[in-house]
Amino acid sequence: MTTPLFLAAVDWGYIGDHLVSRLVLEGVWMTLRLSLLGMFAGVALGTVFALMRLSRLAAVRWVAYFYIWFFRGTPLIVQIVFWFFARPQAWPSWAPWNGQMSPFVTGVVALAINEGAYMTEIMRAGIQSVDSGQTEAARSLGMKYSLAMRRIILPQAMRVVIPPTGNEFIAMLKNSSLVSVISVSELFLVAKLQYSSTLLYFEWLIIASIWYLVLTTVGSVFQAWLESRYNTNYGQAPQRSGLSRFLSFSGGKD
Amino acid sequence: MPLLDVREVHKRFGHNEVLKGISLTVEQGEVVAILGPSGSGKSTLLRCINQLERIDAGDILFDGQSVCYRPGTTKHLPEAEIARVRSRIGMVFQRFNLFPHLTALGNVMEAPVQVLKRPRDQARETAVATLARVGLGARLNAYPAQLSGGQQQRVAIARALAMNPKLMLFDEATSALDPELVGEVLAVMRDLAAEGMTMLAVTHEMGFAREAAHRVVFMDEGVIQEEGSPERFFSDPATERARNFLRRVRQQ
Repeated sequence: MTTPLFLAAVDWGYIGDHLVSRLVLEGVWMTLRLSLLGMFAGVALGTVFALMRLSRLAAVRWVAYFYIWFFRGTPLIVQIVFWFFARPQAWPSWAPWNGQMSPFVTGVVALAINEGAYMTEIMRAGIQSVDSGQTEAARSLGMKYSLAMRRIILPQAMRVVIPPTGNEFIAMLKNSSLVSVISVSELFLVAKLQYSSTLLYFEWLIIASIWYLVLTTVGSVFQAWLESRYNTNYGQAPQRSGLSRFLSFSGGKD
Repeated sequence: MPLLDVREVHKRFGHNEVLKGISLTVEQGEVVAILGPSGSGKSTLLRCINQLERIDAGDILFDGQSVCYRPGTTKHLPEAEIARVRSRIGMVFQRFNLFPHLTALGNVMEAPVQVLKRPRDQARETAVATLARVGLGARLNAYPAQLSGGQQQRVAIARALAMNPKLMLFDEATSALDPELVGEVLAVMRDLAAEGMTMLAVTHEMGFAREAAHRVVFMDEGVIQEEGSPERFFSDPATERARNFLRRVRQQ
């Protein structure tokens, strides 16, 4: 079979040669590190701000509202450039990490703070999904707020929190490509530098896309596994595992 | 000195005054049943004793100390102090409120380990014994969803008992149960009463009040209308409200 004419100019062998090259793998590894660190820090921030949003003190609530409003309401790319260029300009005296934050650290900070705004709402919904009788029972046993939250409420909130958090992680894997604007050599920047010099746009974008699909697919499987772990319904009617649900592509909840 | 001393307690929700000056004492080892129509403020009173609600006026003394205010002031107790008081008062809820992500054993061990900082082995031993005491020695590893309502409520009682409380509060502990499951929970409550536990029980179970309680308190419209021995209350209630209440209950 001959290659169709409209793809005749594409060098498939080139894609195969470079797909697992050291250069590309380094980009993949950087994308993965950015996403994982950004996600972990984002979940931590989201938890803290969710608790603030549910605070009894209006001032504390308003800090959380402002955080969500600001970081959800401005483009991520603007925030990334802001942290890298505008922050040192506006606040030069703040100089951790020997005077400047590396592009990588800046990228993680920008992704985490942005992600935290989304995670705040997800965590809040999770916490509010837990019956108030649980808090009362915990407190009647002498648990303080923090202990009741950690041992009783948050573990139960996980069931509601994990599915949207999986979506967030998959979005994060893709959004991390925006960090290329402050020259962090993640997957997209690697591809961009290569197609700029070789003019093999199609080949390099296919290489990048294949790797993004690999990462997001692994992310989805991991999410399904986590869901099946936490979504046991605590001993109620047995459910199909999250993994088998994923593999059968039934989507949605049964 | 009474173990529990409720003094002139008032509680409002918005404009609705639910408790209008309640005074009540419970002696060590006494079993007191609180009766009354729904909306009379019975549950609110229990919740105030455990500080799940803040009172608006009056005071509540447990073991000689205010559970509401710092000594000699009108400042509320700090959270840590309230938690310490609660750890010595057991509470059983109408809806059980077991922790669904923990097994029966996990539910009973949780507070002794996390609040009292007991070693796990020791807490487990106590929890196993306490669950056996409420007749659930064979269901240690069952999750709440795998238990019947009556079994869940018995785990909830064990959970409270494992803290070795000086006072047990029962907030309509059998009201959410199917009729055939009420008996097993009442049996546990009767055993507790017979063993000398100090109990304050809001209940609709007249049989329990009559047979297990030392004293009956009848509340209506946020006020204690009358109190006395069960024999006297059930045979010869002093107030018209109590007579009406008993008549309605007997018709059911």
